[in-house]
Amino acid sequence: MRYSHASKAVVLSAALALTLSACGGGSSDTASGDGDGSYVVTANTTEPQNGLLPANTNEVGGGRVMDLLFTGLVSYDAKGAPVNELAESIESKDSQNYTIKIKSGQTFSDGSPVTAASFVDAWNFGAAAKNAQLNSYFFESIKGYDKVSAEKSKEDKMEGLKVVDDTTFTVKLSQPESDFPLRLGYTAFMPLPEAAFKDPKAFGEKPVGNGPYKLTEWNHDVNLKMDINEKYDGPRKAANGGIDFKVYQSTDSAYSDLQSNNLDVLDQIPPGQLASYQDDLGENSVNSPYAGNATITIPSYLDHFKEDEEGKLRRAAISKAIDRQLIIDKVYQGGKSIAKDFTAPVLEGYSDDLPGSDVLEFNGDEAKKLWAEADKISKWDADKEFSVGYNVDGAGNKEFVEAVVNQLKNNLGIKATAQSFSSFKELRAKVTTYDMSGSFRTGWQADYPSLYNFLGPLFGTDAGSNDGKYSSKEFDEKLSEGLAATDPAEGAKIFNESQEILFKDMPVIPLWYQAVQGGWSTNVSNVEFGWNGVPIYNEITGK
Amino acid sequence: MLSFMLKRIAQLIPVFIGATLLVYFLVFATPGNPIDALSGGKPMSDATRAALEAQYNLDKPFWVQYGLYLKNLVTFDLGTSFSGQEVSALLGRAFPVTARLAILALLIESVFGIIFGVIAGMRKGKWFDSTILVASLIVIAVPTFVLGFVLQFVVGVKLDLVKPTVSGAATWGELFLPALVLGLVSLAYVVRLTRTSVIENKSADFVRTATAKGLSRRRVITVHILRNSLIPVVTFLGADLGSLMGGAIVTEGIFNVPGVGHLLYQAIQKGETPTVVAVVGVLVIVFVVANLVVDMLYALLDPRIRYA
Repeated sequence: MRYSHASKAVVLSAALALTLSACGGGSSDTASGDGDGSYVVTANTTEPQNGLLPANTNEVGGGRVMDLLFTGLVSYDAKGAPVNELAESIESKDSQNYTIKIKSGQTFSDGSPVTAASFVDAWNFGAAAKNAQLNSYFFESIKGYDKVSAEKSKEDKMEGLKVVDDTTFTVKLSQPESDFPLRLGYTAFMPLPEAAFKDPKAFGEKPVGNGPYKLTEWNHDVNLKMDINEKYDGPRKAANGGIDFKVYQSTDSAYSDLQSNNLDVLDQIPPGQLASYQDDLGENSVNSPYAGNATITIPSYLDHFKEDEEGKLRRAAISKAIDRQLIIDKVYQGGKSIAKDFTAPVLEGYSDDLPGSDVLEFNGDEAKKLWAEADKISKWDADKEFSVGYNVDGAGNKEFVEAVVNQLKNNLGIKATAQSFSSFKELRAKVTTYDMSGSFRTGWQADYPSLYNFLGPLFGTDAGSNDGKYSSKEFDEKLSEGLAATDPAEGAKIFNESQEILFKDMPVIPLWYQAVQGGWSTNVSNVEFGWNGVPIYNEITGK
Repeated sequence: MLSFMLKRIAQLIPVFIGATLLVYFLVFATPGNPIDALSGGKPMSDATRAALEAQYNLDKPFWVQYGLYLKNLVTFDLGTSFSGQEVSALLGRAFPVTARLAILALLIESVFGIIFGVIAGMRKGKWFDSTILVASLIVIAVPTFVLGFVLQFVVGVKLDLVKPTVSGAATWGELFLPALVLGLVSLAYVVRLTRTSVIENKSADFVRTATAKGLSRRRVITVHILRNSLIPVVTFLGADLGSLMGGAIVTEGIFNVPGVGHLLYQAIQKGETPTVVAVVGVLVIVFVVANLVVDMLYALLDPRIRYA
């Protein structure tokens, strides 16, 4: 997944619904106790941005389809806990060398077998530079990744992956990483049938998977129809007759369809309806947190915000000068909860009272005091501006950034300004080339349910999404220590200790956790949203 | 006549090249790198970034990029989108839908616009005329998206007469409501234009002559007044077809119509130059051809105009 363009939501959502004939399929309105298992559910989506290959799907429109189309070694339940799917066992004594056994007799929907090679080949394909897959960095922990991913590299086999027999393969990582097994439910780690490698482009248009559903039709920019995969035999068996994903250009039109029962499930309420959707939809609405957060990054290359005593004071002052709850109430109608750490509340090991987290509590007086202390070290010129950058093409960004800026003005007495960028790509181009003249909005949505996913890629020295160029030896060491732990609970404890370092350094200012606001029609029941804010489609039934 | 048409069609070539060059440059000059939109802010390996930049020629200077684009264009290769689809396929899906929408809107605005305009003009100052004047003023004043949302909510959600959004098939029936919204503002202009023109011609010498000759009122209105009043209206309608196709973005968004408006909007956001240029290129052709048709219609409507 990715940063959301819209700060509000989860994801760009889109849509669905379908034509009469498609919904029809027979009995949609039988009122039985257990629900109608043959009902075809319509749901919203956005057009997948790429062909449907596991290692090339990095956004929500394609991701939700891939999750149903494929099944990997593990899947995640509603709370984000990993459940073995194809994996018989994933074993490691040192968190570096893994032996993975898969269940025998599994097949793709076209009948070809799922073997150890289906995984190894798919991962090698995803990592190789010559295939230019967007998710290739997911394989970077595997030994040999640096060789296959080097520019112009012709190699496409990582030495860390070895097929032992049809149902067993081994993985050697370049360093111990205790949360490696947790990642295996992410889209990038799905297996592929041999047919995929002959013509990946054609396969991406008509993918053949091993998940609970199969893709029967993909009308670009219109809809994706998914039918039951009879060959699937796992924990995510479909309780309905299929899913029809309708592509919506805006959540407004999707919401209109939802209100008139032309759409069954919508996972993003349009900003204009946030104040009233719970009244409109009653019991058929939800507002629940998912694994994502919103932050403001203050790059360490800015004057007065370096990683020294002055920078730390100023960062703490800014954090304490923001009344998060007030902004949530005014801008989001109370639909989010304030951040208490750098991760997200649905994750295993999450804690809301880590030592040092009081720096996230609003206290205008103390904020002023901290700012004044920093001034003693090096004076902040009264005319100097502190800007917060945002992209205008994401709904809701402007509103919350201006609210933050106003609070900084009032509570710190500094010249704070909101700096607008015309598009997400314009903002990101400046961010990724470390060319920002102020702070900017950021956010993270988990790829897989793990504390490390919120810490390593964002704050590790030179990590891929370390937008603020934060670097702390102490923090890096804690991360490695956490990764080397053999027990996940022990690992989580150490990751939380690493957050205590972040509370002192404040590389970013955590604002709030993301929440999914969604709703469903009166035609369906059993609608639940998962740890990542995506509806659990396979459990939905007709009424 | 024929040489006039050929001359006009030959003008298409420089207009087309100029427009595509300009649009290509504008997209090129928008800040930001499309690859950053593709990665969505997540990390991306250097090798993947380099491979994608090479694949879409983003690593080359502007003139090389544009030259390569033109070279491919000669062989009718419009390029590929970032999702790996042929731009020609994207256009092939989206254009017929938007064309249906625009034609339907044009039909609604011309049929109703001219009928209402003639009646209002013939009964200047009466209640029908006053009502039409006020109504058209309101329609012109209200933004299209307000009109769209209100109609969608009332007709689609509350009354449940039609579905609030259009299906992938985008049939003529489904497109009626969006076309009404799209054409309503133009309809108001057509009414007012026709009305003014009719009022002017009503007292012209040739109308008095026709009436004096003893022609029926119906014949006087349709052949003498209407035909002569249509020239400004036809000019307006011709130019409007292009605006309707290019300006359907808002309407298409409200009713979820899978047309060029959506395609163009998405492509601009992603910085997908080949798609933007192709859509604008086709719109340019539509504009030029529509103008040519309007010029031809002049000759039909006004016997004094002849193309040598």
